[in-house]
Amino acid sequence: MSAIEARGLTKRFGGLVALDGVDLRAGPGETLGIIGVNGAGKTTLMNCICGLYRPDAGDVLVGGERVTGQPPHVIAHHGVGRTFQVPRVFRKMSLIDNLLVPVLDRPASDSELIGRAEAMLERMQLIELRHNYAEELSGGQQKLLEMARMLMPDPAIVMLDEPFAGVHPVLCKFMIERIEETARAGKVVLLISHDLTSIYRLSSRVMALNQGRVIAEGGVDDIRGNPAVIEAYLGT
Amino acid sequence: MASPSRAADSADRIYFTLVALIGGALLAYFAAVPVLGLNVAFHFYLMLWITMASAFNVASGFAGYMPFGYVAFYGVGAFTTAILVKKAAFPLFLALPLSGVAGLVLALLFAPTLRLSGIYFGIVSLALAGICRLAITNMPEEITGGSFGLQLGSRAQPLQSFYVMMAVMVLALATILWLSRSRLGKALRATRDDAEAADMMGVNVPLVRLYGWLISAFFPAVCGGVEAWYTNVVDTETAFNTLITAKTVIYAVAGGLGTVTGPIIGAVAMVWLDELIWRQFPLLNLLILGVATVILVLFLPRGIVGTVLRRKPHWRRYVP
Repeated sequence: MSAIEARGLTKRFGGLVALDGVDLRAGPGETLGIIGVNGAGKTTLMNCICGLYRPDAGDVLVGGERVTGQPPHVIAHHGVGRTFQVPRVFRKMSLIDNLLVPVLDRPASDSELIGRAEAMLERMQLIELRHNYAEELSGGQQKLLEMARMLMPDPAIVMLDEPFAGVHPVLCKFMIERIEETARAGKVVLLISHDLTSIYRLSSRVMALNQGRVIAEGGVDDIRGNPAVIEAYLGT
Repeated sequence: MASPSRAADSADRIYFTLVALIGGALLAYFAAVPVLGLNVAFHFYLMLWITMASAFNVASGFAGYMPFGYVAFYGVGAFTTAILVKKAAFPLFLALPLSGVAGLVLALLFAPTLRLSGIYFGIVSLALAGICRLAITNMPEEITGGSFGLQLGSRAQPLQSFYVMMAVMVLALATILWLSRSRLGKALRATRDDAEAADMMGVNVPLVRLYGWLISAFFPAVCGGVEAWYTNVVDTETAFNTLITAKTVIYAVAGGLGTVTGPIIGAVAMVWLDELIWRQFPLLNLLILGVATVILVLFLPRGIVGTVLRRKPHWRRYVP
């Protein structure tokens, strides 16, 4: 059984078909890279999976359970975490408080949760800034904070939307290592990126989208030489 | 370097010590006002505005709403107390909590508007306050007293109402102090900063917002009831006066939204300034106060406490 599965997901915005019958499945420990040019439907796919958008057709299953149409906070409780293309941290909250938000409903004591949040910030090399407001961080640090926040509730499925966009190469390398650790921990990683080098390095499987449709899916080598993918990217 | 958790424990100790010392000193001061022969009316209204600004802070500073019709809760609370006492012969100490309940009921009726945000919420809130005022104005004269309002007769007890106002203020501040450190408070702040992201992080946004809204509605309703008791008279003109909302917003913003101390310091500073200006320029006090508010907002857009905490980030752990 797949940890996450999408069946025939379709999403329209007026006359625009953003997703057109997309199927997706991924199991524990697998990193599925999702590539495509701007407007291909990558972020829309994530938004449908996490409940931000209600799909017009199709289903989303998490751990075999249908979650289509559920509000985002319910889907989050099924173990789905995500980051955003442009960081959406809680700007006027401290880094510690940012990390506590996804675990507020946990039965653990406050001091236990704060200990976990501090350990997570340590892992992301943000511990010295733990009492700063999130708005005081640089763009790259906000991306790290988002990743830490996503990992706090120990989700089974992590969705990363352009984690390397606008990030310094040194920080990029650090993030790649964290993503590899996450996959090794047995989580499903859905990774959207325009940085094909990172995608090819991290992904066990790649799915290419174009105009809302899956145009290719398979191993890294299959995708790299796929004529449909080359045409979609280069227009030749 | 001390481990983060140990440093947090030490910060907590300083925080609670500061809260206990400052809270205790303030409590002792207010309790001594009648004994020391200080101006009881001034201090009654100071406590009332501290409570109003602090409760408003929950809706605005914590949850991110700007309810321009905040006076509705105050007005409904005032009339609930007056009607229950005058027309239904309820004892005052039962009528006052019931005025808070009336505020909660009104908040539940307004709850669908929590789906709105920004200026749209503000405008709808203002309109709903106008509807409340019209509804009470048009109720039968036997109930609301018509244009003359209701007089509570021989029930005026300035000293008792002073201490009841003090109890309400303490309850409000204790609630908001708890909220600021609670999980609900963190969830509220997250929805204020980015409701969609909070939702995707597992926060039940509508429910959390409703809790915050109810807390924010209860205290102004009780304030309205206590003030009705203190002044002994209630009419729609004063109970639904838009200046009540305006002053509440100004005091909270002046101190700094989103902190517990901000609205307290804002209310103390501005009520004192208001009193000072009123004594010197009784005809121009609102004009001068308006100019002072504009200057304050221009130079301290985050309010007094907000600006200090911006410049001294390490104080954030100790200042509620």
